[in-house]
Amino acid sequence: MNKKAGPLFYIFLAIFVFLVMFPFIWMLVSSIKPINELFGDKAFSPFTSHPTFENYISVFTNYPFLKYLWNSFVVSGITTLYTVLIASFTAYAIARLQFKGKTVILGLVLSVSMFPQIATISPIYILLKNIGLTNSYLGLIIPYTTITLPLSIWILVTFFRKIPFDLEEAAKMDGATLMQTYWKVILPLAVPGIFTTAILVFIAAWNEFLFALTINTDQAFKTVPVGIAMFEGQFTVPWGDITAATVIVTIPLVIMVLLFQRRIVSGLTSGAVKE
Amino acid sequence: MEVKLNPSPSPKKDPGRAKTSSSKKRKASEKRLAYMLVAPSLLLILLIAIWPVLQSFYYSLFDLRLNNPTKSEVTLSYHLDLEKYLNSYPFLINVLEDEAGKAKGSSAETLNGLISELKEVDAGIQEDSAVKKQYQQVDDKLTNMEPVSEELSSVKVDKSDALKLDKTLHKVSSEVKGLKGLKNEEDALGLSSSLNEAVIKPNFVGFDHYKNNLTDKRMWMAIWNTSAFTIVSVFLELVIGLAIAVLINKAFFGRGLVRATILIPWAIPTAVSAKMWQFLYDGQNGVVAHIFEKVGLVGNATDLLTTNLGAMFSIIFTDVWKTTPYMALLLLAGLQTISSSLYEAASIDGASKWKQFTTITLPLLKSSILVALLFRTLDAFRVFDLVFVLTGGGPANSTETISILAYKRMFEQTNFGDGSALSVIVFVCVAVISMIFIKVLGRDLLTDR
Repeated sequence: MNKKAGPLFYIFLAIFVFLVMFPFIWMLVSSIKPINELFGDKAFSPFTSHPTFENYISVFTNYPFLKYLWNSFVVSGITTLYTVLIASFTAYAIARLQFKGKTVILGLVLSVSMFPQIATISPIYILLKNIGLTNSYLGLIIPYTTITLPLSIWILVTFFRKIPFDLEEAAKMDGATLMQTYWKVILPLAVPGIFTTAILVFIAAWNEFLFALTINTDQAFKTVPVGIAMFEGQFTVPWGDITAATVIVTIPLVIMVLLFQRRIVSGLTSGAVKE
Repeated sequence: MEVKLNPSPSPKKDPGRAKTSSSKKRKASEKRLAYMLVAPSLLLILLIAIWPVLQSFYYSLFDLRLNNPTKSEVTLSYHLDLEKYLNSYPFLINVLEDEAGKAKGSSAETLNGLISELKEVDAGIQEDSAVKKQYQQVDDKLTNMEPVSEELSSVKVDKSDALKLDKTLHKVSSEVKGLKGLKNEEDALGLSSSLNEAVIKPNFVGFDHYKNNLTDKRMWMAIWNTSAFTIVSVFLELVIGLAIAVLINKAFFGRGLVRATILIPWAIPTAVSAKMWQFLYDGQNGVVAHIFEKVGLVGNATDLLTTNLGAMFSIIFTDVWKTTPYMALLLLAGLQTISSSLYEAASIDGASKWKQFTTITLPLLKSSILVALLFRTLDAFRVFDLVFVLTGGGPANSTETISILAYKRMFEQTNFGDGSALSVIVFVCVAVISMIFIKVLGRDLLTDR
């Protein structure tokens, strides 16, 4: 296989990158246009002679956008912390300890991760409504577990399996208990894997839509994806606000992806690729 | 990309471990610890994934409507809402007695007959001592204007009593209507109908929701839309993703940038990207719609979101944009596990690039492809956010997927029984798809590597 990249390859690459990024570039361009340039003749012009931040100001003044961001952050943050903690115990047991029923448990985890959310929503909604947890953070954190827990167990198991067994054996020889081995030997080595899992779980929780849409309908508890999807103007679609809001949520994402791309890729492919 | 993949350390068996008693003890404690560590996750999965699915199935057997107070809960037996009952029954008797006093001849007779019949039913309900006690408690609370808790208010009654009450009330309203010239006819009718609402009938309907849905054109349309979307988008994503993966499987400058580019569409919330594409597809001001019109892909820019085919195309295009890079990433990781020496050997033997692809790449990539396909197919089949935000299932339900239909039944029509039946149908479809894949993939998806 030709492992050297020629000029043609770079042209192909440039086109590919451009196509993938074009919608974002266009959103960025549109977001700094004054509103009248989003419609009519100037709608298709990639440049504006009157750049403005009015759309960005509008997003924060006309909608509780800061509140949306905060809600998403709190819900995703807490979900991530608690699922990764619980999943790390389970993954450790599955990957490192000898007990019966491992394959069954792993199979259960895998099948649950394939459950369509719509199949669980009616009982969860009715339950949360009856105990008064709709329109609360906990009302989202609880159902998000369905998505994030199987995901974290699945990824963490592959990470735990990669830690060399010799270290554990050595700790055993020195008389460490299993719990000591976990805290002092395995956990420090698993930190990169746990961190990777946390990033993926956070993204999954941050992006969730169906539960957020149905359970937290109150403005004060909406998350970012639902908030943006529900942007409505009085007479026309508020495209200016939508472009600005999209850019606002994409920028931190771009930074995160640039910083953690290797980890994310290793997490994404860990469960999916076999030798 | 230097994704190191599963160097697969198989668990080493400690030699002689099983022989000594201390190691036996250790083994037992290891087992105990393992179950303890697994327990919280299993419990959570049971509570918020398995239970809801079973409960969904249970709900689907009932006529459950959240906006209808007599059908807002699943019940298998007849219940009486005592608060409602006692708020109407004495007043109805009063109104009827009042009318009977004023009426003459046969009308008075009829009315008295109705009154005694109603009283008989009331006595029948109070026959059970437990019901009587609760009846009195609710009555006292109502006289003292105290709030009545739901628990206290609801009481199980015999089917025969409930049916008798229902029958008598129907008789009351029909006869009151028949007797012309009653002064308080409206009151009597209103009270008898609100009395009727106090009877909560069992709303078990068996498999009726499934029967109705499986003969419903709209449901089959939704299944068709979902399948078409799934097959076309996953196929395109696989082909394009594989092509990209093969092309970028080499050392080049700017890898990090390309990898980041690939990850951004994947990482952005689907709902947000759908909103973004709605802007790009907009018939008047959308740049992508404009470009498509210019290159002749669509006749008119407005066709994209307003015609059936255009809307389906838009959804598939967006999904392909969002997911192909991710697919490429998964396949690329698979490609990197193939040793380059195989290709070198094939080159020496004079195999063409295409021959190398079909005889080395594809067979060795098979399990990666199947795993990627499995996850993508299931993801695509349960598509919700993208369609909900981009088209809302329109125009004319032409992009309505099965999840969207279930959502609409549940949250727009508050028909949770029927909606749950639809969601069980989605679940069964997903289960069948995964079983087919797992059959092809074999058990190696789960076993220790």
